Amino acid sequence: MSRISYSRDEEVVQRMRPEPMTETEKNAQDQIDDVEFEIFKHKMHMIGLEGKETTMKLGASTAMRFGDVAFGIFTAQGDLSVCATGIYHHAVLGQIPLKYIVKHWVDEPSVGVSDGDSFFYNDPYYAGVHNADMGLAVPVFHEGRLICFIGAAVHTGECGGSEPGGTVTAAKSKYDEGMLIPPIKIGENYQLKEDLLNMFAAMNRDPRTMILDIKARLAATRIAQRRVLDVVEEKGADFVIGGLRKILSMTGEAARKKISQLNDGIYRQPRFLDTLGEDNGLLKIDVTVIKKGDKITLNLENSSPMLMDRPANSYYQGVVGLAMVYFCGWLFHDIPTNNGLLEAIDWKFPDGSFINAKGDVATSIAPLVQITFTHGMFQCGARMTYSTMPDRSVASWFSGFSIPTFGGLNQFGDPVADITPEINATGCGARVDMDGVDAAGAFFATMADCSDVETTESDRPLLYGFRNFFSGSYGHGKQRGGAGLGFSLIIHDTPFFMMGSHGGGSKFPTTQGLFGGYGLPSLFVRKVSGSNIKALMGNSDVSLPNRLSNVYDGSNPEEGKVSFANISSVVSPVRDGDTYSSYAGGGAGLGDALERDPISIMKDLINGLVSPWAVRNIYCVVYDEDSMRLDRIATEAARLEKRKARIASGIPYDKFVAEWEKQRPPAEILTYYGNYPNPGTKALEA
Amino acid sequence: MNKIRITEYLDIDLSNERWCCNRCNYELNSARDNYKKACLVTERNMAEVHPPMVEGEAFSFMPDSDYCRLIEFYCPSCGTMIENEYIPPGHPLTHEIELDIDVLKSRYAAAGDTAK
Repeated sequence: MSRISYSRDEEVVQRMRPEPMTETEKNAQDQIDDVEFEIFKHKMHMIGLEGKETTMKLGASTAMRFGDVAFGIFTAQGDLSVCATGIYHHAVLGQIPLKYIVKHWVDEPSVGVSDGDSFFYNDPYYAGVHNADMGLAVPVFHEGRLICFIGAAVHTGECGGSEPGGTVTAAKSKYDEGMLIPPIKIGENYQLKEDLLNMFAAMNRDPRTMILDIKARLAATRIAQRRVLDVVEEKGADFVIGGLRKILSMTGEAARKKISQLNDGIYRQPRFLDTLGEDNGLLKIDVTVIKKGDKITLNLENSSPMLMDRPANSYYQGVVGLAMVYFCGWLFHDIPTNNGLLEAIDWKFPDGSFINAKGDVATSIAPLVQITFTHGMFQCGARMTYSTMPDRSVASWFSGFSIPTFGGLNQFGDPVADITPEINATGCGARVDMDGVDAAGAFFATMADCSDVETTESDRPLLYGFRNFFSGSYGHGKQRGGAGLGFSLIIHDTPFFMMGSHGGGSKFPTTQGLFGGYGLPSLFVRKVSGSNIKALMGNSDVSLPNRLSNVYDGSNPEEGKVSFANISSVVSPVRDGDTYSSYAGGGAGLGDALERDPISIMKDLINGLVSPWAVRNIYCVVYDEDSMRLDRIATEAARLEKRKARIASGIPYDKFVAEWEKQRPPAEILTYYGNYPNPGTKALEA
Repeated sequence: MNKIRITEYLDIDLSNERWCCNRCNYELNSARDNYKKACLVTERNMAEVHPPMVEGEAFSFMPDSDYCRLIEFYCPSCGTMIENEYIPPGHPLTHEIELDIDVLKSRYAAAGDTAK
């Protein structure tokens, strides 16, 4: 009898932690020798890494080619034991669609799970982030026995929503968002079903990329399947079943042990998001991290209510996933990445909140909601770790998005719809002992890459005017954040094209500093329609901007209709020669800028990594502008004066608060906020 | 030595349960309370930290003051910026670190000494 109710499965999405151990798993792992286990664990990880690399090499979408890939080996119950990725949220979300398959399709006669099958999914209710993250998984059988699953989750940049590029900024409900597919079988007997592929192609603006990405995932999983079966042949099925389960068990134990080394306490960081979708408004995620003994609890009560007609909502599981980006990459960097880590984490989500979406509300910009939360997790984590693990205490990487989205016809007349990859070149947050790395990657995709500009230009109707470090992109501090990328895009050689932008932070910066370090400035898109840029290029005009700071320093000869837009913008038509410029953010600063080594500042100045304005006004460094020689004595005097000025202008806390709390944001930006300042949402009692 | 390093600029003296400035040893307040209550506080002019670089537009490099303000917390003795906050106007300032002092003391007592 069918167990499908033709509605969302609210039970399976609660099963984020490992399933109870089966007798088979327990008996099998008890037989495994420690040395054999270490060899097995390494072997499985290598299979996963090969799968990740294969997926990247074969894929077509921007994100797949440049590493937005999670490749995993799952237990037969659906838990993710081994995961090769820098996209750590998938390490704790990938198990949900697999558990759905196990629950609904193994015993369902009209579907079933057999050797040679393949399953596809992209409904974020099960996959957890957004519907651009699409997954494919295959079961691995040996002599008729289900041993494990292998799967690949990858961002494919077009979902067939009402806007191109995988993000529907103006979505009013989930029905605007395009494909939302719960796990379905798309292949049997080692063959994909062409009728289903044809359906996907028909639902998507970029069918070539959609189909190639599906086939890339499948090819990589089939190679990994062969590798796993080689191990099964050599070591036996029970060994592999027990080994996969043992990795999960040891992960949870290691995570609890690590947490127990931190100081007990409560760590808070309220987070604010300025983006509802295509319009601005203020939302709050109230992040409280409670560390007690060997457990960490995330309490997110008092976050803003669910948005009924805007896409800035997230399912709770996506927020838990993004919490694990912090945990996997920073606190648990030396522990395997899988959902066993969740044995050490608890959570409390308020009912009716935009971070615990229900029903048919849109979730298209959920990733922005989730990383808004993650920034709070980083801040709390840095304060939690400084005392006992200072090398783990870091300021945040860029915690917003700044992603050009596009759709239209490319220079070959083919349909394209995707994003450009600069988000994979944001700056690291500063560390206690060093500056953040410049253009390092994305904190949520640490293995991803921003591609060569020539590669992007080769099949997109875009030319880069420039793309390089932007001195205004990061937070200042004793250690500065790593610089992000400023870039300019010129629309080129297309009869029809549209561009928009996905991100947040045009009103309220996404990324705050740490321990007195500064956060990032706001960010936005500068557009020029009817630009003369191509004529200037044709004349080899040497005054054309070659970095983003030149666009704003008065030297830019470009003319046309200039406009400044929200970083969260719906796509709109653009014409050949129009330009679009923005930046991918840098990292946050750590520590008081007055403590920064003046020599480091002068090196940054010479290398164009800090503006003369910031050198004088933020760092209080005095130097000769002609010789670029540092005046140490004058610098020390200027910094001493600055400290005195702080003391002179500072107000005692109680007196400051008495005046401060009389203020309030304008009512029109609080429409979706809930009660101000505390929205008042609460978790349901168990 | 009874001081425990908690953040870049904050120590806790376990002998008297007080927050202290790490740079100048100034004693702030009870370690069971919010250290910010003992700091000097200023709201910065946002343009002095994040200059707009674009004049007269709805979008620039400067955060919108309707949404976001910058508050700085200084050591009253040496003027070190211990922390800052980007926060909407009037929103309560954050009590960001609330340690379990009893557990902290027992942990370091069990370890036999404290570390600077």
